[in-house]
Amino acid sequence: MISVRPKTTVLLILCGLIGIAAFGWPLLVTPDSKIAHGGDAPWTFALLLPLVLAVVLAELSEGGMDSKAVAMLGVLSAIGAAVRPLGAGTAGIETVFFLMVLGGRVFGPGFGFVLGNTTLFASALLTGGVGPWLPYQMLGAAWVALGAGLLPDLKGRAELVMLALYGVVSSLMYGFLLNLSFWPYAVGTGTTVSFVPGDPVWDNLIRLAAFSLATSLGWDLGRAITTAVLVLLTGPVFLRALRRAARKAAFISP
Amino acid sequence: MITFDNVSITYAGASEPTVSNLDFTVPEGELCLVVGRTGAGKSTVLRAVNGLVPHFTGGTLTGRVLVDGRDTAQFPPRELADVVGMVGQDPLAGFVADNVEEELAYSMESIGLPNAVMRKRVEETLDLLGLAELRDRPLATLSGGQQQRVAIGAALTAHPRVLVLDEPTSALDPGAAEEVLAALQRLVHDLGMTVLIAEHRLERVVQYADRVLWLPGGGEPAIVGEPGPVLAGSPVAPPVVRLATVAGWDTVPVSIRDARRVSAVRGTHTALNAVRGTLTASNAARGTLTSLLDASGVEVKYGKTRAVRGVDLRIGDGERVALMGRNGSGKSSLLWAVQGSGPRSGGTVDVRGQDPKTMKPAQRRELVGLVPQTPGDLLYLETVAAECAQADRESGMPSGSCRKILDDLVPGIDPQEHPKDLSEGQRLGLVLAITLTAVPPVLLLDEPTRGLDYPGKARLAATLKDLDAAVVLSTHDVEFVAEFADRVIVMAEGEVVADGPAAEVITSSPVFAPQMAKVFAPLPVLTVDQVAGALSA
Amino acid sequence: MTLHPGAWWLWGLLLAVAASRTTNPLLLGLVIAVAGLVAVACRTEAPWADAYGVFLKLGLLIIALRVVFHVLLGGITGETVLFTLPEIPLPSWAKGIRLGGPVSAEGLLFALYQGLQLATLLGCIGAVNALANPKRALRSMPAALYEVSVAVVVALTTAPQLVASAKAVRKARRLRGDGARGWRALRTLLVPVLEDALDRSLALAAAMDSRGYGRTASVPAGTRRLTSALVLAGLIGLCVGIYGLLDGQASPYVTFGLLLAGAGLAIAGLRLGAKRVPRTRYRPDPWRWQESVVAGSGAIAAAATVFVSASGGSGLVMSVVPIEVPTLPLIPALGVLVALAPIAVRTR
Repeated sequence: MISVRPKTTVLLILCGLIGIAAFGWPLLVTPDSKIAHGGDAPWTFALLLPLVLAVVLAELSEGGMDSKAVAMLGVLSAIGAAVRPLGAGTAGIETVFFLMVLGGRVFGPGFGFVLGNTTLFASALLTGGVGPWLPYQMLGAAWVALGAGLLPDLKGRAELVMLALYGVVSSLMYGFLLNLSFWPYAVGTGTTVSFVPGDPVWDNLIRLAAFSLATSLGWDLGRAITTAVLVLLTGPVFLRALRRAARKAAFISP
Repeated sequence: MITFDNVSITYAGASEPTVSNLDFTVPEGELCLVVGRTGAGKSTVLRAVNGLVPHFTGGTLTGRVLVDGRDTAQFPPRELADVVGMVGQDPLAGFVADNVEEELAYSMESIGLPNAVMRKRVEETLDLLGLAELRDRPLATLSGGQQQRVAIGAALTAHPRVLVLDEPTSALDPGAAEEVLAALQRLVHDLGMTVLIAEHRLERVVQYADRVLWLPGGGEPAIVGEPGPVLAGSPVAPPVVRLATVAGWDTVPVSIRDARRVSAVRGTHTALNAVRGTLTASNAARGTLTSLLDASGVEVKYGKTRAVRGVDLRIGDGERVALMGRNGSGKSSLLWAVQGSGPRSGGTVDVRGQDPKTMKPAQRRELVGLVPQTPGDLLYLETVAAECAQADRESGMPSGSCRKILDDLVPGIDPQEHPKDLSEGQRLGLVLAITLTAVPPVLLLDEPTRGLDYPGKARLAATLKDLDAAVVLSTHDVEFVAEFADRVIVMAEGEVVADGPAAEVITSSPVFAPQMAKVFAPLPVLTVDQVAGALSA
Repeated sequence: MTLHPGAWWLWGLLLAVAASRTTNPLLLGLVIAVAGLVAVACRTEAPWADAYGVFLKLGLLIIALRVVFHVLLGGITGETVLFTLPEIPLPSWAKGIRLGGPVSAEGLLFALYQGLQLATLLGCIGAVNALANPKRALRSMPAALYEVSVAVVVALTTAPQLVASAKAVRKARRLRGDGARGWRALRTLLVPVLEDALDRSLALAAAMDSRGYGRTASVPAGTRRLTSALVLAGLIGLCVGIYGLLDGQASPYVTFGLLLAGAGLAIAGLRLGAKRVPRTRYRPDPWRWQESVVAGSGAIAAAATVFVSASGGSGLVMSVVPIEVPTLPLIPALGVLVALAPIAVRTR
């Protein structure tokens, strides 16, 4: 529905590199770096990421986003934004991811990337939750939905199982990335589970794991499980309905 | 202004064209009405005017469609936005912005008009359609009539030469429909706009039409001409037109005023007056009945608003009751409260000695059945057959019961069809069948006539009359009430303001009087069939 | 009178910059108070108006989290040991992670200061969330993001309608005896809502098409190529800049220069890319003197703190070893107080 041209691919890759740095800087930074010790790095990235996302989204829309794609994005994001509060508060019930996985699967990686962004953005606007974490969530969700669009072409039950597995893997990855970005905010420096600039990646990862274990592991597992369960349960119906819509919307010129 | 030059339209995957060999012209400054049965291709014709068909929907269009000299083959809908204003069936579904002012400006923003022009046109449109006090209101909070006027205004700000409307008054109560139609008439008369309307409620719009395009469907050629003569030959015709046929008039009136005049000249009024005594209403109230449903002091509150305020309702065995009143007068809330599935904050309901509210949903539906306003909400399976089987299980009936009822109501539905693909009437039939599978002694229907054409409504009236149950339905459709109901209850502001035999209640009201009552006032006539019966007697 | 959302965002972010330069609890408390006062004084009846409170609670949660982490996992050691928790030995691969042990006042204070700083930053953002109308903010999105912003507007207006539709379906389900329970019930609810949503999206798309959505201006090939080049160069610049930032070998001037240049190029690309959208804007939010005052007051707060911080002034960064008694630094405090200016211009 939204075409990805070679130039867009290049931009998506660049955006990916910047994203990896934004999420993973505590693992990558050297102790010589100016940002290694202060609290500035999260904020620098929180300001840079929106610009990067804006550039990539503008490029994707320039490639042609017709009214159907926009309306579909709007409505799918609306479902996402509307069902998201259902899960909030209940540990780990995450009701948005399955929608992004299925939407990305049916309408392709370009659509998925935009869908991840618009869903989280609309949801934040509705709940007044625009904060420094938003660009990270948007990018993470965009990758999840984009990835679903790149999965191999399977049919029937195999497709469903693949999507559910992808749901588990991608939810866990998303949780890991978001933890990584939240880590420096949450514990700062100085505790024994804080990141140590320049330490071997493995040592930092162990501290991160300890941090995750102490804070969000329940949520992350919950998210992975709900996503997989929802994909399996609603997948047949949703895929059929979405594909019906995708077909209905196909254009045949006279 | 609009020219269809031998146009046929075939959707992708369809074996037959939806409309074929359409050949007509609508001159500038005329109001043209598109009529035809459900599924005859009215929406297709309307959407072809601005190129949505086939640019948006896909499919093949042969021939040519010209609007203000532009061929829709070369101009996609977005390039025709400043020539054709399009107002869809459900205005709320087509709103892009979230308040009135921004919605009005949307087309102009897309076209790229300068801000000064936009300011001026928005103000003009607010005045033209009487929307000035609503300018900052969120669109979702408006009433149906207001939403429809905003949708018309939003199409107008681009200064199109042509306005196309798909069923603009279907969902509106008579008062709100008047508002919308008055606005439309003003556009045609004062601004010289060309207007194309599809509408099921012909009795509301036909007197404003300069021309009628009848789509007979089924491959027959379309017929265009003066409203009276064209409608006289069509199965979809308002009561006044059918009156002309019944009474053997050679001129066919389309307005009450003309009908009264012709009736006076041709002596029909006098003839009816002579047999006045035989004019027993076909659906006069029938003496005292054993009470089946007894509700008293019913209250429904949503937050601070009291939707229903202490309503007493007593329904007798086999009674046919119509519930009328403005949108928002509490009709739906009352039906839901009586059925027991909706909220009820006060009062008592008693059906055969039991209060449905205290029962389990499954038993409740064996006592009182309710068909909601959007019947589709009840359906969730993939095929008609699956829905029927599910209904049999839910009601504990032998398998095939639901299907049998469905076949009596609407024969010939393919069991493998997706409920989503059914026509409006078929879907209503399916939901009605599902509800009736439980054999409830009381059946409630919320606005069942929406989207049904005249034959569809006649059929629904006949079906409901044959039922072995008391029927209560809410509706805005005066003509349907005249056909069907023997008792009418009028609600306003959550209270019952009138309750009595249909003939008395509706003939005495200027808003709710059916066309025949208006034509032959003060004679107590409600329907064309009554006139026919009296004249042949 | 409502102010341009951009003015509020500038004000809030600049106030956050001021807070990011200090760990002085008195100054941070002052910032929280200023943000809170403005949020309460200038907020509207809008549903997002209580966002400040929500963000403040989140801030308290973060302070608590940091303190608990510090108590349990230790970290900064100091002379003043308050109490000692029993230490649980961990395997050697747990690289220096410590569970239990002595808890020092210094470490606790350090965690508290750091947490308070973060909570303050959140308070600033929370105030903005309460004050800036998100729907108006969408109207001020760059024109190159027009399509995406329409999608978000559609999402915002459709979400409440979908909730209503879901409620209607759930209500209707009771009419069928409510046979389905649990997951099956969810499915029977989701199907009609999804179908309704998809129908809605098609109807909406048709309406948008009919109303001129998607008209594109013809952009010369040269301009298009220039746009692409700017955008690509911008992102590459950012990539290299970030590498420099993380590596720390290059001079900070070069690094930040690269980052700024990259951002500049990307913004230029976005602006040039907007040329393909021929659309105009109805009643764009004006930028009046009030907006300048609001943004300017934030800038003064930031400038005062940054200036004192850069010139090595005392009282901004609290030393915890040894423990220092905080005093309110004069110039930054005055600067932060200037950020109360929105209260003065809110009504006229």
